[in-house]
Amino acid sequence: MAKYPFLQEASAYIQETKFDFEEFDRPEMIHIINRAVEKLDSELRGKIYSNLDEYEIEIMTFLVSLLLIKSIGLEEISRKCSLFEAMRVEKFLSTDLSNERSLQKKKLLVQKIFQELFKIDIDVDSTTSICKLSIADYLHRASKMNEQEWKLINRSVKDGYVYLDTDEAVRLIRNELSNLIYTRIKNMKVSEVPILIRSKADELKRKYSGRYVYRNQFKILEYPPCIKHALEIINKGENLPHSARFMLATYLLAIGKTEEDVIEIFKNSPDYNEKITRYQVEHLAGKKGSHIKYSVPSCDKLRSEDLCFAIKECENLINPIQFGRRKFK
Amino acid sequence: MNQIGNPNENIDFLREVFRKYYFDNKYFPYLYSIEKREFGYRKFDSLVVRHLSFKNAGELVAELIRNVPLDVYYSNAYYGLPSNPINEKQWEGADLIFDIDIKDLNIPCFQDHSYYICNLCGFVNSDQKVCINCNKGKTLDISIPCKKCFIAIKKEAAKLLDFLCSDLGIKEAFIEIFFSGNAGFHFHVNDPNIRNLDSNSRSNVTDYIIGNGFMCESIGVRKSRNGFMIKLPKGGIMTGWRKKIASNLGINQKSELKLKHIVETSGGYEGFRNEINKITKKFGVHIDGPVTNDIHRIFRLPGSINGKSGLIKTKCDDLESFNPTNDACMLSDSEVYINLKTSLKINLKNNNFRLDNTLEKVPSYVAVYLICKGLATINKNN
Repeated sequence: MAKYPFLQEASAYIQETKFDFEEFDRPEMIHIINRAVEKLDSELRGKIYSNLDEYEIEIMTFLVSLLLIKSIGLEEISRKCSLFEAMRVEKFLSTDLSNERSLQKKKLLVQKIFQELFKIDIDVDSTTSICKLSIADYLHRASKMNEQEWKLINRSVKDGYVYLDTDEAVRLIRNELSNLIYTRIKNMKVSEVPILIRSKADELKRKYSGRYVYRNQFKILEYPPCIKHALEIINKGENLPHSARFMLATYLLAIGKTEEDVIEIFKNSPDYNEKITRYQVEHLAGKKGSHIKYSVPSCDKLRSEDLCFAIKECENLINPIQFGRRKFK
Repeated sequence: MNQIGNPNENIDFLREVFRKYYFDNKYFPYLYSIEKREFGYRKFDSLVVRHLSFKNAGELVAELIRNVPLDVYYSNAYYGLPSNPINEKQWEGADLIFDIDIKDLNIPCFQDHSYYICNLCGFVNSDQKVCINCNKGKTLDISIPCKKCFIAIKKEAAKLLDFLCSDLGIKEAFIEIFFSGNAGFHFHVNDPNIRNLDSNSRSNVTDYIIGNGFMCESIGVRKSRNGFMIKLPKGGIMTGWRKKIASNLGINQKSELKLKHIVETSGGYEGFRNEINKITKKFGVHIDGPVTNDIHRIFRLPGSINGKSGLIKTKCDDLESFNPTNDACMLSDSEVYINLKTSLKINLKNNNFRLDNTLEKVPSYVAVYLICKGLATINKNN
């Protein structure tokens, strides 16, 4: 269980030992704090921390890591570390599920992580280690992944179940695991962080804050082919299907065109109605109705709506908005 | 409504027949959790009213008899507050609905029974161009599906049913098939286990059923520096789409060499990908994806009149024996006179009608059908 310090058992352990935060100021705790710093440093450099120690050390290191992240107080760093912690667990879990010979232990692991934490009913075959889960459980998670291999059509599917190997089953819960850790950090209520931890957090913050501050430094150099195609149709004076209008308007708004600019473009449509167009464009811009700004549909969605006209430059894009983006020199 | 034209006499006639139907058919046996649904309807002037809610079928029928709409819709979604604005409705889940339509099947005979009606003057043109009568209006494509069309759409419906039961594992008890009342079928899936799927998950299901996005890698063909390599997936190739493709290619889990040969003869990775696309197109079902993906959409109410035809959205218990032009034709038999815009032949309620004259005396259900299609107008002078 040293590999899975986020489980309920770990919290119970800390409560049972009546551990107090002040104890972190004791000299023998320096090793734990340094280990937690080493782990975060590795994660913030984009590397999974693979070292594994005893149960007690792992639990305390996990706790200190959370305190460090909380003290740094930067959203991007919290997200990054949560993701890498999830990937670390993924690595251990995948190995455990594949290599564990005892079916009982395998089932216990599945029950603790998949069922208790994420409410996924999953069955592991004793000989092949192939995992079986319901299509609904699969879709809830896989539909958030952008890689095409996670689409249901590319999976082994039968009688309402999806069959995954252990690596895939574990990868499926990475985002949830990451969110679970992120939520733990966010919900932590710490009245006073021990001095040593705070100073280590400040060091990490100084070192990495520059790298993780989001900068809007992109400009669009060229329209993606799906948008070009839609514009060509409009310029020819033909009507676009509703889904294409949605794509075009959300795209143009996303790259910074004003509502007036967008309405102007739609004037070429044979069925143009200024009142309706204005309402809809303002609605998409989040200024009418729900007041939610609509996002540009993903490439995957455009493919299923027959609006994708991908070219070589579209490879690896997940949203048309990424097309032609170049950093300012 | 464009098809109907605007003479008040047509509207009065249709409203009278529709009102009688709703008066005589007060029950909607396939409408569940009525208090959680959003309702809407299209009036005869084309305006759509949405965000209505009813506590029970009695309230709904009273509204239909009072207002007599052209089309009646209800949400696939279940809401805590169905009459609130869309973002305040408290979404609690939605039935998964599939729509298949004859027009999407590219049936060769489709053009033979299509009519091109001017959206301004209502004139029936022989071609899909600017109206030759008024020189202004655009033509709307109106079709009267024939027997071949219905055979083809029923075959497509059977394919969809197989996908839902065999692959997605949905029990038949949760699937209700309805003839839409015009030219297609609606599959309503009310399985509580999939009711809370979001739009992205539904889109994943639609792509599965259509056959969009199958990767060669899923059947073991990968791109490599030397062109391609074969590595069959650990999970096997004998389930789901992998099985459909493998069976079509004549391969199984042990056919690595045969698969290598197939890829080589297809022209390598890219050529093989084109072959795969042809197979997925052949085995996929022509469903309307955006309809299924929408979790806030309103759909035609089962048991209501389809304003495009006057036929009823009818439950279909057996695809093979179901006869849409008979089983969904439930309006009055009383005879009326109509002015026809073109000569035509139709079959309704198992009766053949050959209509060659400008003025014809026909049962009301024929009159409604042709007026809704824009091919006739009511004649009150005879």
